[in-house]
Amino acid sequence: MPATPLLQLQDVSRALAGRNVVEDVNFQLDRGSVLGLLGVNGAGKSTTLRMIAGLLAPSRGRILIDGLDAAERTATSAALGYLPETAPLYPELRVIEQLAFCARTHRLRGAAATQAVARAIEQCGLGDVRRRLLGNLSRGYQQRAGIAAAIVHGPPLVVLDEPISGLDPLQAAKIRTLVRELGRERGVILSTHLLPDVEACCDRVVILHGGRVRHDGTLQAVTPDTLQVRVAAQVDAAMWKTLSFVQAADLAGGVWRVRLAPGTPAAQLAVAVVGNGWGLQELRGAEADLEQTFLRIASAAEPELAA
Amino acid sequence: MSLVLARHEWRRMFARPLAWTLLAVPLALLGYFFLLTLDAFLRLMPKLAGMSDAPGVTDLVALPLARAVASLLLLIVPLLGMRALAGEAQSATLPLLLTSGLSDARIVLGKQLAAMAFLAVLIALALSMPLSLGVGTTLDLGRLAAAAFGLWLFGAALSAIALAASAHTDHPTVAATVALAINLLLWMADAGARYEGVSSAFINYLALPTHLEPFLHGLVSSVDVIYFSLLAAVALILATRRLGARRIRG
Repeated sequence: MPATPLLQLQDVSRALAGRNVVEDVNFQLDRGSVLGLLGVNGAGKSTTLRMIAGLLAPSRGRILIDGLDAAERTATSAALGYLPETAPLYPELRVIEQLAFCARTHRLRGAAATQAVARAIEQCGLGDVRRRLLGNLSRGYQQRAGIAAAIVHGPPLVVLDEPISGLDPLQAAKIRTLVRELGRERGVILSTHLLPDVEACCDRVVILHGGRVRHDGTLQAVTPDTLQVRVAAQVDAAMWKTLSFVQAADLAGGVWRVRLAPGTPAAQLAVAVVGNGWGLQELRGAEADLEQTFLRIASAAEPELAA
Repeated sequence: MSLVLARHEWRRMFARPLAWTLLAVPLALLGYFFLLTLDAFLRLMPKLAGMSDAPGVTDLVALPLARAVASLLLLIVPLLGMRALAGEAQSATLPLLLTSGLSDARIVLGKQLAAMAFLAVLIALALSMPLSLGVGTTLDLGRLAAAAFGLWLFGAALSAIALAASAHTDHPTVAATVALAINLLLWMADAGARYEGVSSAFINYLALPTHLEPFLHGLVSSVDVIYFSLLAAVALILATRRLGARRIRG
């Protein structure tokens, strides 16, 4: 018998103010993977995550966490760490006070609570600010404190709602690293509207648009058979086609997008370009089909539905 | 589990200025009022000495002070409780509590316990003023204890009302206004009927003073204890239900 998936969404729909914000969403998540929930603002990401956290009841469908219905909040809370869009921190408390409170509400006491807090502080790199008031921390540190508060009780499922948006590049990189680390043994859902976030830390991506799942796939499966090439010489599509392993080539903004026959190594193209004396200036893997997919899905006209 | 939240609330309460203000300002006012009544009592003393069965210092100083505490509680408790849930919703910290493993009932109960602890401190400090007279005269300590207990129950009922109001809105000021209106309505519930010359046992039963006065006169009767407990229970259940309904209403 297959093990129960960590998280399972079964035909989940939710209407808010008479409109369907999330419709028939299905996906699963297991331990040891990071799922990127990608979508433009209003795609229904936050609503989906709030339902997983048990803050909203689905209008239809079921959400199972470790086989338990997410509606049974007190039963599933031990398995779930949730960081909402705005980190729920008490500005008048110190970092360790907030974490200790979170540990105690999850029934950790005494030495177990102290250990859990120390572990979360270490994991999230909060050692230097442990005694600072949360209200005085920078946004990056607040976001990390929020993640620490979500994982202090060691939940197998961690749900992070846009933890990276609004951070400077340095802080963003730290959070991405942290998310990747969390994904080693837990199941992590990371919602974002930024593609680089997904590429940096996710194994799988679910693209949500207009409240529906439009794409669900692993990142590795996206094969880089399309390359971006910049050459010095004036060439046209027909000249590219003379190379036997090129299936298609089109020019966009001075850069050629060249699709190779499956299994062709990129080096072969480089050799051919140099051999023809076209003056190779740049050759790189086209940003995966993921970006194409996302842009195609996101640009489809859909009204803004919910945050 | 509710105690975890109660301790947390207590810590947060005194990390912010509001709780200190809500202790300091009423106590300053009550101190002034205490000195006034004490002065009046001292002036009356020669006359009282000639009376048989004259009212003592407990009647003439402690009782008016306890009544003043009750009036102040009507105003303070809504301010104390307004942020309980509305403030959490406004500052986006409510999801932390709702995903914490605490049930809705425990969240509400934890908040109520913290407020009741605060009220115990406030009432104890206020009644320590007449208690200090024990150095020079004999006080009716039983009556003072009954008054303290009555005021605490009264405050607990008011704080449950404030919590219920706070659960029904995301704006603390709205919660305070609504709680204050309910408090005053319950305080004066029987005034209209009395003015009209109607004496209905039911209307009298509803009013807060009907049940507070016996305590101040040293009478702890179960009907009054039940009244305040019932009021608090109904308000706390309403607060719990509203918290649960957030999941459906969004």
